[in-house]
Amino acid sequence: MTQLFRKTLLSASVSLAALIAAQAATAQEAVFVMATNEVGAPTYNPIKATMLNTATGLLFDRLVSQAADLSYHPWLAESWEEAPDGMAWTFKLKQGVTFHNGEPFNAETVKAWIELFKTTEGENGYMAEAIASAEVVDEYTVKFVMSRPEPNLLYNLSSTFMGVVEPKSFAALGDNYGVTEVYGTGPFKLESFAIGQETVLVRNEGYTWGPEVAANHGPAKVERLTFREIPEDSTAFLELKTGGVDFLLSVPADLMGEVQKEANLAVLTMPGQDVWYMPINVTKAPFDDIRVREAAAKAINQEEILASVFGGVGAVADTFLISALPESHVPDGAKIHYDPARSNALLDEAGWAMGEGGVRMKDGQPLKVTLWTQSDSIFRRLTEVVQAQLKAVGIEAEITTFDSSTIRDQYKTGEQQLAVRSYNWDNADIVDWFFGGDRLGYPNVSMFNDPKAEELRAAAMTGARNMDERIANFTAYHEYVLTQFPMAPIYQPVQAMAYNTDRIALPEKIDAPAFGAAAFLDLQVKE
Amino acid sequence: MLSWLIKRLLMLVPVFLAVSVVIFSILHFIPGDPIDNLLKIGSSPEARAEMEARYGLDRPLPVQYGIWLSNVLQGDLGTAIVARRPVADLIAQALPHSLRLGGLALLFSTVVGVTLGVVAALSRDRWPDRAIMGGVLVGSTMPSFWLGLILILIFSVSLGWFPVSGARGWQSLVLPVLTIGLGGTALVARITRVSMIEASGRDFVTLLHAKGLSPLRIQLRHVLRHALIPVVTILALRIGWILGGAVTVEVVFARPGLGTLLIKSLAQHDYPVVQACLLMLAMAVMLGTLMGDILQALMDPRVRAAMT
Repeated sequence: MTQLFRKTLLSASVSLAALIAAQAATAQEAVFVMATNEVGAPTYNPIKATMLNTATGLLFDRLVSQAADLSYHPWLAESWEEAPDGMAWTFKLKQGVTFHNGEPFNAETVKAWIELFKTTEGENGYMAEAIASAEVVDEYTVKFVMSRPEPNLLYNLSSTFMGVVEPKSFAALGDNYGVTEVYGTGPFKLESFAIGQETVLVRNEGYTWGPEVAANHGPAKVERLTFREIPEDSTAFLELKTGGVDFLLSVPADLMGEVQKEANLAVLTMPGQDVWYMPINVTKAPFDDIRVREAAAKAINQEEILASVFGGVGAVADTFLISALPESHVPDGAKIHYDPARSNALLDEAGWAMGEGGVRMKDGQPLKVTLWTQSDSIFRRLTEVVQAQLKAVGIEAEITTFDSSTIRDQYKTGEQQLAVRSYNWDNADIVDWFFGGDRLGYPNVSMFNDPKAEELRAAAMTGARNMDERIANFTAYHEYVLTQFPMAPIYQPVQAMAYNTDRIALPEKIDAPAFGAAAFLDLQVKE
Repeated sequence: MLSWLIKRLLMLVPVFLAVSVVIFSILHFIPGDPIDNLLKIGSSPEARAEMEARYGLDRPLPVQYGIWLSNVLQGDLGTAIVARRPVADLIAQALPHSLRLGGLALLFSTVVGVTLGVVAALSRDRWPDRAIMGGVLVGSTMPSFWLGLILILIFSVSLGWFPVSGARGWQSLVLPVLTIGLGGTALVARITRVSMIEASGRDFVTLLHAKGLSPLRIQLRHVLRHALIPVVTILALRIGWILGGAVTVEVVFARPGLGTLLIKSLAQHDYPVVQACLLMLAMAVMLGTLMGDILQALMDPRVRAAMT
């Protein structure tokens, strides 16, 4: 018996020692928790995936990088030139770049990679849709021949969906590419991936071709990165608090206070890419009257919502686009702000007189409308505030909540009047997606189909020959849509992250729109 | 015995078919479809139609069902539409985690539950009985989501004994097993106690007392054996629940498993995965019931006699 006891004790102390040794050896390793909205991404295949997470951006480099001000900078492409008529783009490629499996990166690989968008079964083909063909000019020069001018090409090329894959292994691995193995030119290589669970990346030791916007061009300072997927925010926070993980790539507004209470934890914020808004169905009475639409839109008190629902973190939205986009800079008159006096005056003018109980009446009918939203708690809370604000000008809104996976189909019925929703996108073409006349119901929840808007939309989507023209056309399209009040802008969140300051040293400045390759190259683990 | 077993197995066939029809049809009545999760900004209606055709979603429902059933019977669970992987792969990744967690939780609730039930029955209406039954009441009414967080706060945050979440090593299993196991423990303890007390009043117990056997020996050797029959039935029925019902616990502890896979695929309308998960769970319930019947037969001479 005593011998058994001794044996147990001995093996216990041996495993304890091993545990301590293992922890000492992992000093140059950092554990991240994936953002909640990125949990469950099933593959690291940028050509096929509809959802890609932060780790994807570390496996694959792009031809072009983007700075915090959304300007474009070299990465795998050293320089580029657009033909005056916009029908061709020529890219000079960096030399000496290799893929994780040793294959060289050159004009041939870029050509083969672009062809994958045309030939692979997958939904991301539209990223390269305007490129008719890619031609090899010399070993490190590639020319894209365009089917039409596409000033948005650089945006597409900087997106994770256009991370450059290694074409040979892509063909050889088939559906396993991105799941069991994956080869890019990125600063980290894939060591293991368990869907919905964990991804482990190891440093690409030979990496020296980081994006221009990063201070360190490679190799990365951290040897090993573990990305865990934790769907429950409070569990993720407790992991951070107990030292089980070092970094949370998303923190919900209601946990920010908890993070700030801890001495060794800090919050990091970066500009957000979400806009929260209230679509207004322009085909449903009483909102077929533009005065009633404007009244409802100007009844929304964005400042109050920012303070009471989101704890002052983030910014108010007064257009449909995130304010980092140049196309959001419409004339002040087109911006939509809280103006209760104007709301009341418009409703009076439209014949809706204030009735008993604070609800307006017209021809014996009360001003009662439906207000749809999804069942997540933050949406419910925001929608209740919106309901109260509408009530303040005499509009009684009845809230209906739907499960987030079925609400799209409810929108397709076209029965909605008002709704509260959000989108995540950082390009002006989102105006086309949500207000295009051929997508009524969903995504065009507002059922907005206006001949003048359609003209401006065509000019914005395909009529521009260069970036300045595209910006001008999209600004005009966006401005016109705003003046028709098919929606009320509400709120722009920030990307909030949290990390352990005893473990992680962040670069002074992260010159990128999101926490991606540039930030990970510069990030250090404290010894 | 053998003919009884064959009869029981054959009876599973119509049950299986009925279950498969229900599983297939209810899914298609939920509004929405997986294509929504695949189409991206800029997709045209033609792209949608093309994709529906690719996954066979444009065919009439009975035809889709027929194709699915014949594939399943040949062991082909299909390919996930949204996850774009063979369904069998996804299940193979999730199932071992569910089996480990569920198996240990079942073991925990059986051992602890039966022990507590016996102690409570032996000390009927005295303080150990009252204490155990009181604890059991609390344990069975606590929601597992909340219990999981409380256990994390005590054992991970305050004491630092176990990791908060994850699926690495045996340490990460302790708290989830406790969370699921405690609910089952309450159930098992209550049933063990009641049926021990009920069995103690039987004639054969009076006879054993008259023969002069020691009371403890009578309780543990004879009464307990008798009392375990309903416990075994309950445990067998819980197998299906434990595999699929651990969803909330899997979410709190960020563990993979069948429940998580099911919920995620349901939200994405990934039909082949949902169908396969539900089928697995239904099979687990059916086989659990069958196993319960067999065990009951082996333990109860009366049932054994009725079978032949």
